[in-house]
Amino acid sequence: MKKLFLNILYFGIPIILFAFIADAFLTSQLKKSRKDEFGIWNDIYNGKVNSDIVVYGSSRAMVHMDPRIISDSMHESCYNLGINGHNFWLSYLRHKELLKYNKKPKLIIHSVDIFTLTKRPDLFNLDQFLPYMLNNQDVMDATISYKGYNYFDYHLPLLRYVGKYKTIGSIFKSMLRPSASDSGRYRGYSPQNHAWNDDLVKAKRRFADFRVDLDSASINLFDQYIRECISSGIELVFVYTPEYIEGQEFVKNRDEILGTFRQFADKYNLLFLDYSDDTLSFQKKYFYNASHLNKDGAELFTVKLVNDLKRNSYEADSGNSGNSGNATRKSSKSVN
Amino acid sequence: MLFNSIDFAIFLPVVFILYWFVTNKNLKLQNTLIVVSSYIFYGWWDWRFLSLVLYSSLVDFLIGIALGKEENPTKRKILVTISIVGNLGLLGFFKYYNFFLDNFITAFSFFGQEISARSLNVILPVGISFYTFQTLSYGLDVYKRRLEPTKDFIAFSAFVAFFPQLVAGPIERATNLLPQFYKARSFSYIKAIDGLRQVLWGLFKKVVIADNCAEYANMIFNNSADYSGSTLVLGVLFFAIQIYGDFSGYSDIAIGTSRLFGFDLMRNFAFPYFSRDIAEFWRRWHISLSTWFRDYLYIPLGGSKGGTWMKVRNTFIIFLVSGFWHGANWTFIVWGALNAIYFLPLLLLKQNRANLGTVAEGKLFPGIRDFFSISLTFALTLFAWIFFRATSVGHAFSIIGEIFSPSIIHAVELPKVSYVVMLLVVVFIMIEWIGREGQYAIDRLEVRWSKPMRWALYYGIVIAIFLFAGKGQDFIYFQF
Repeated sequence: MKKLFLNILYFGIPIILFAFIADAFLTSQLKKSRKDEFGIWNDIYNGKVNSDIVVYGSSRAMVHMDPRIISDSMHESCYNLGINGHNFWLSYLRHKELLKYNKKPKLIIHSVDIFTLTKRPDLFNLDQFLPYMLNNQDVMDATISYKGYNYFDYHLPLLRYVGKYKTIGSIFKSMLRPSASDSGRYRGYSPQNHAWNDDLVKAKRRFADFRVDLDSASINLFDQYIRECISSGIELVFVYTPEYIEGQEFVKNRDEILGTFRQFADKYNLLFLDYSDDTLSFQKKYFYNASHLNKDGAELFTVKLVNDLKRNSYEADSGNSGNSGNATRKSSKSVN
Repeated sequence: MLFNSIDFAIFLPVVFILYWFVTNKNLKLQNTLIVVSSYIFYGWWDWRFLSLVLYSSLVDFLIGIALGKEENPTKRKILVTISIVGNLGLLGFFKYYNFFLDNFITAFSFFGQEISARSLNVILPVGISFYTFQTLSYGLDVYKRRLEPTKDFIAFSAFVAFFPQLVAGPIERATNLLPQFYKARSFSYIKAIDGLRQVLWGLFKKVVIADNCAEYANMIFNNSADYSGSTLVLGVLFFAIQIYGDFSGYSDIAIGTSRLFGFDLMRNFAFPYFSRDIAEFWRRWHISLSTWFRDYLYIPLGGSKGGTWMKVRNTFIIFLVSGFWHGANWTFIVWGALNAIYFLPLLLLKQNRANLGTVAEGKLFPGIRDFFSISLTFALTLFAWIFFRATSVGHAFSIIGEIFSPSIIHAVELPKVSYVVMLLVVVFIMIEWIGREGQYAIDRLEVRWSKPMRWALYYGIVIAIFLFAGKGQDFIYFQF
């Protein structure tokens, strides 16, 4: 028995040492990375977002709103915190971490969509949490209920890197060729130059009657978030960015979902800009799939958006009503 | 509790220490520890189903005692029937209730009779097919007087619930495992090291090979309409490797873990994909189940002793039942039927025992004849796996239709990272081939390799698990 324990000990000690050293090395490299979502999280935790205007939402926020255009037009700094593949739960995590490590934004442009108030079971792109999840209660609270990491991943060194050979490989690749880690995102914005693809055809083939079930926990969290924003004096605007018309028809209970956002806007007197009927939503050439605008579409849309924001939010008192988005206007920001 | 989880990595050393250092002086206490830890292991999924394990143990324990006392053949028959009905009734309710109900409704509606019956939302308890078959074999063995009934309920409960093999086998015979609970176990360093090595290899098979293959097999099978015939073939290949890595990996961990506690479980896999015909495949694949059906179904039915018709009938029965054991779906029945069709010509031509030894024993490469035999057997197995993995028979036929279409020559549509998985699979198959003469691929290292070489390999496997562990997938056979 003694021989067995000694052998296990001799075999295990190098593994334990390796775990601590490798964790420190991999994490430090990822904390320098600009690749995909790593760059955004690094900016959040390093206090480099520090913007007056921030954009929240899913991939539709990420690819639809160009912070350059918003900054130039509104003369305020802007950062796009749209997070690919996720709904409100992860936007809220970003919001919490943003407030902890950066200055408070004046305005949040929140891109809402049919999936905002749902919760997917899997933790999409779970590698993005690697550098900041160890012993981070906020990240654990927001992500542990998904199928992805377990309790020990948040507390033991290296365990969370198990099986992450793609990310580990990318670390070594970027050490050899630093430009390899540049994801081409500008302050979170990720313009896409793709041609129209067959995502919608595939989706139609797979789902004859596609409906989205809203999640009550997500709705409650969304409500809490709105109240927190209002009470801390952050202006909040909801935007339903353009969606290709055929995609709109594909979701059978779309009106009901949009109605939920309208109710929130009414309840808290918030501005809700809905671009479902905007001319952009009818022009396939500006999309690469039913939900996502390409770069040309995104730039055109951002220009429209800032014009509408100026008219509805910053120049509201002048009574200008020439917006292209279908706007629900707030009258008061106070909340008990 | 999953073998490839941190929970188990904590659980196992704790039980190991209690077993060898705290309870080692008292056999009863040691067996009690096994029962308690096995119940914790099983209850980790859903403690409510512990009552089923307890029920199964209690019923067969009492029937065993009654059979031991009873000499009247009619009464003995009644007792064994209670055991069979009790075990199969449990299995039937949890596993097949909705299947039979749906099929009855469909059959009645076909004849113009609409019947309404409510299907139940029955959760399938993990491993129910395994432990009910294990307890069933005890009752049958006692009935056949192949085994003395036990009067030790703790030992019997430990036999039924023994955590390494409780949820996915090997399905042990009472004649092999139960007596091991009667005797004091002494710690053997050689056995423990061998057990750890087998656990390590099993983990590699499960988390590196099976879980990575699962990602692509699931992607292709779940979206089969989107893929060309060539990609679908690759999907079937991925599934074939997945199910082998998953199930044989689980068996390796189970057998290896048992050895740490001084127990010897039966072998469950013997490199089945190197089989030269289907009969050999079935002697090498899920051995504990195939031999169970052989001993408790095929032989009682007359086996291959009768005329041609009896051989055909018995072969179909055993394969259809084996298919149905896997799940309440017609896909498994078709899978079983296909294997029966593959097997029958060998049986009728008396070629079913033509390949008993290890292929190309003592040689590095197989001969051309063996190579083609292995390839043909593997191709037939792949074809049958389509039914096993498909969600319905119609789904399976749609995949087969696409495979046998011009799109079979289209370029494969998979992400580049899948090539890493393919490379891992090739390395894995090479290691399995080299180690095919052992109980598991790396079991002969102790005699062949020096300690530094062995440790280098173990570290290599640990690093491979660290780097390439796939997204945690449930063990496939838990659902059966």
